[in-house]
Amino acid sequence: MSAHGRQTGPAEAHPLEAHPLEAEADPVEKHIADLTAVLHGPARAKARMIEEIRDGLTETVAAHIRGGSTPTRAADDAVREFGTPEELAPGCQRELTIAQARHTAWAVALTAPLLAACWYLASSTAPGQDGPVPRAAQLFATQLATAVGAIALLAALALAVTGTLARRLPTPPRLPLAIAWAGTTAGVAMGVATLTLTVASLLATDWPLVALAGAFAAVSHAVVAPSARACRRCARLARAL
Amino acid sequence: MRADRVRGHLDGLLMAVLEQGPLHGYAIITAVQQRSGGVLDLRTGTIYPALNKLERLGLLTSSWESVGERRRRSYRLTDAGRRSLAEERTAWREFTMAIGSVLNPGAQPRSAI
Repeated sequence: MSAHGRQTGPAEAHPLEAHPLEAEADPVEKHIADLTAVLHGPARAKARMIEEIRDGLTETVAAHIRGGSTPTRAADDAVREFGTPEELAPGCQRELTIAQARHTAWAVALTAPLLAACWYLASSTAPGQDGPVPRAAQLFATQLATAVGAIALLAALALAVTGTLARRLPTPPRLPLAIAWAGTTAGVAMGVATLTLTVASLLATDWPLVALAGAFAAVSHAVVAPSARACRRCARLARAL
Repeated sequence: MRADRVRGHLDGLLMAVLEQGPLHGYAIITAVQQRSGGVLDLRTGTIYPALNKLERLGLLTSSWESVGERRRRSYRLTDAGRRSLAEERTAWREFTMAIGSVLNPGAQPRSAI
């Protein structure tokens, strides 16, 4: 921190508005663009982080200009004090990766129990099913639901470990990757359950409920699978930076 | 003071400057600079992910506030954050006392004798 003693003032009196830099030559905009390009994570969390960093940079530039620097010099100094995108990216990506892991964990923890309940409802309201395919489908989907249920418990544990429990316990560095693969497994199980329940609905006598369970499995898959894919990407990026 | 030495204490520094009341990101940077006399060599951009982490842990809360046409995020210390800050202070006092006793054996604090 080398800018001790800078003046602070109201944010609305932004000196750059009176001395605008060309966008392509503005070190602040280049810094923000570079950081935006390298970071990945939940859209809202990333946008918030970038907006805060832009605001901080803008205020720093304004303080330097109030202190007598030219706009160009002030922007260069502000970027140097803030840290280069390479210096900031690891810390930012670590938080975004945890945010993405929590997003995936929430998706699994919320959809998996509902999927299991939906399947239980579908199977329990069709006790007369004795045809070979529906019976096999029931057993298969039950096993899938059990696997997804176990993953949901893991997801709930991960939410606790990355939440308030993290005040006392260090977050394992590989946890986001573990959540990513658990979510991927849940997504595959949900996709297979969708196919299984769709086929079963064609053969079942009480087909609307089975078809409804299949539709819910499809929606769960559509929610969990992309989130798990994004989580894998974030986890790889966090390790690479 | 080198950045890697400061990094391990960043959470405590941020909570300490928020003890008096809510501040936004740039005001937090300025407060840390002023309190440290400009001695701490820290890339100021690193405070933003640190603030996010403290909020995730429930030690801070935050909200957007409008300033003219712009908006910025303001952070406030929670009760859990105040307890955590008190623990940080206690741990820091014990640490500096122990290190000081070794580095300056002739000037041991009364409580350590």
